[in-house]
Amino acid sequence: MAKWGMVIDLEKCVGCQACTVACGMENSRLPGEMWQDVIFFTEGTHPSAQLKWFPRPCQHCENPSCVAVCPTHATYKTEDGVVLVDWNRCIGCKYCMIACPYGVRFYTDEKPLVAPDMRKVLASKDDHSWNPPWKMPDAREDWKHGVGIQPHDVVSKCTFCYHRISKAPPGTPDLDPQDPKLREFTPACVVTCAPGARYFGDLSNPNSEVSRMIGDKRGVRLLDQLGNKPQVYYLTGDGGAVPSSRAINKKV
Amino acid sequence: MNFIYPKTVNEAISGALKMFGENHVTATIWKASVAVLAASLGFVFYMLFTEGHASFNTSSDGVNWGSAIATYVYFALISSGLTIIASLATVFGFKQFYPVAKRCIWLAIVTLIAGFAVLALELGHPFRMLWAVPSGMQIYSPMFWMGVFYVIDLGLLIVKFYLMWKEDWDSPFSHFIGIAGFIAVVLASGMLGLLFGSMAMRPMWFGSATSVFFILSGVLSGAAAIVFSVYLAYGFDTKNMPEQLRSLALSDQLPKVFATLIGIVLVFLLTRIWVGLWSNQDGMEGFVALLNTPWFHLEVWVCLALPFLMMLSPSMQLAPKWQVTASILVLAGMFIERLQFIVAGQNVPMFKGTWMNSVTPYTPSLTESALVVVGISTALALYALGERLSNLSAAPKESIEAAGQLARG
Ligand code: SF4
Ligand code: SF4
Repeated sequence: MAKWGMVIDLEKCVGCQACTVACGMENSRLPGEMWQDVIFFTEGTHPSAQLKWFPRPCQHCENPSCVAVCPTHATYKTEDGVVLVDWNRCIGCKYCMIACPYGVRFYTDEKPLVAPDMRKVLASKDDHSWNPPWKMPDAREDWKHGVGIQPHDVVSKCTFCYHRISKAPPGTPDLDPQDPKLREFTPACVVTCAPGARYFGDLSNPNSEVSRMIGDKRGVRLLDQLGNKPQVYYLTGDGGAVPSSRAINKKV
Repeated sequence: MNFIYPKTVNEAISGALKMFGENHVTATIWKASVAVLAASLGFVFYMLFTEGHASFNTSSDGVNWGSAIATYVYFALISSGLTIIASLATVFGFKQFYPVAKRCIWLAIVTLIAGFAVLALELGHPFRMLWAVPSGMQIYSPMFWMGVFYVIDLGLLIVKFYLMWKEDWDSPFSHFIGIAGFIAVVLASGMLGLLFGSMAMRPMWFGSATSVFFILSGVLSGAAAIVFSVYLAYGFDTKNMPEQLRSLALSDQLPKVFATLIGIVLVFLLTRIWVGLWSNQDGMEGFVALLNTPWFHLEVWVCLALPFLMMLSPSMQLAPKWQVTASILVLAGMFIERLQFIVAGQNVPMFKGTWMNSVTPYTPSLTESALVVVGISTALALYALGERLSNLSAAPKESIEAAGQLARG
């Protein structure tokens, strides 16, 4: 069984947020509520301060604290290493949002992040939280795996595009979007990334490109000290950076 | 108050209705709290049906759990504290506490129900919880165990109250229920503490001390609730109280226990602040922010340190008015504590980046505030109901003797 993981090369990432948009379209995200976000921050101080950024999907942790805290088992880890939310089970207690160190989980029913509130403009007549003009075919919607337009009062998060990757031919080491045969099984953000900064493959296969890059280029994981052991690795190279500390100085 | 207590369910229902036309302290509390409950609950339902949980000020990239969770924790821990205080008489044989035991158990039931009610209105799918939690069996989740223990706790409380109502104080079965209830409530409140204390990614909560703190501060808030309720029931005048209750109220044991509990909670709070300010660990910055809020100082100095001194002062500790003042301050202080604890633990962003450059702000919305009112008025209404329909000061005969000895010193 594969253990899907992602490598993001921060030297190549230009911070264009095409991944964010692609994910939003693919997964019918409410504007502002982005499963795949690009986070901007600064390193250093004036006059040598630099603007840095890093894209942040769900890290699909090896030790997912969100799974352990979920009282209903709505959040679970699949055999192929992906962490998903079953929207038919989630009771909206938000404990998983508390327990996730990466802030990648979203509760549907909150103050709108952008105006006007799209849930009102494009109101849904059924259980869905809204009715976007673009959406995946109904047949692909799959609430058990947290795929599709989110219903009310549940928590959602990045699925690694489970509706795509779960159809990939078994044994594929890397889902390379350059390969026309694999393209439709590759996560939307990886397909769309113009500079090709994102790689997706099987971490349990030592010969996969993702495994080799993590070894050769010193892949690092976000907040690794917490022990969640993300399956998303960042290559920082010479120019990239992941924030090593929290937002504020102690002496606020 | 000398009521004639109903013996059957029908009498109880008509007794509750009749209370609307009666004229005494309990009836006033009943009428006022039912009215407030109807209004606040009506508003909350209206908002939930029109806006849904978007009417809350909680947010995914800041404070996920707001005042509703704080209110739940507040009531759940008052309930646990009351149960532990009742156990002094029913489990540990301190018979002088029997005169408050039945009242404690009733209050524990009503505060737990109030807490659950608020929680149900906070959850996205409260009804789904009824099948999804038992069928999910996620035994790693502290929330799972908290739910299991609190449900057992509530069941045992109801059985215990029934037995007390039947004047069964000391049968082996009643004793067993008391012991089982004590164990369940320690597990429940301790687990509620672990629900927060297990979160290594939230350093302001992290650690087993959180669990111990929850149990002990629960006992403090339970103590405050029982003192307040006893005085409330007798019009704030010890002369109206039955003999054995008066001797308990006027003995110096009560203020001593009260002061000790406040002292313990203060030690916990101040040592936590010390560690928070001293430690360089990333994520502890929230303690600095905490220290900068007036609420924190109101809680520590006015709502805890002041009652602590009152209950130590020989000239004040026995005066009903100071005991009542102390209990009200502690109840208010504990509410601030629950809210601050829960909010401060979340509002240091996990890492720096867009939109998250400082402590995330949070103020409860109108709906969330109304939900707090729902909790308080539910507890008060059910309390008044119990007061009117059952003699909450009932106690076994031998405890009267013990209380008499206490009064004579
Ligand atoms: S990043 Fe958060 S939501 Fe994703 S698997 Fe890890 S703990 Fe769970
Ligand atoms: S909000 Fe849903 S997915 Fe998250 S812990 Fe609660 S039940 Fe599980």
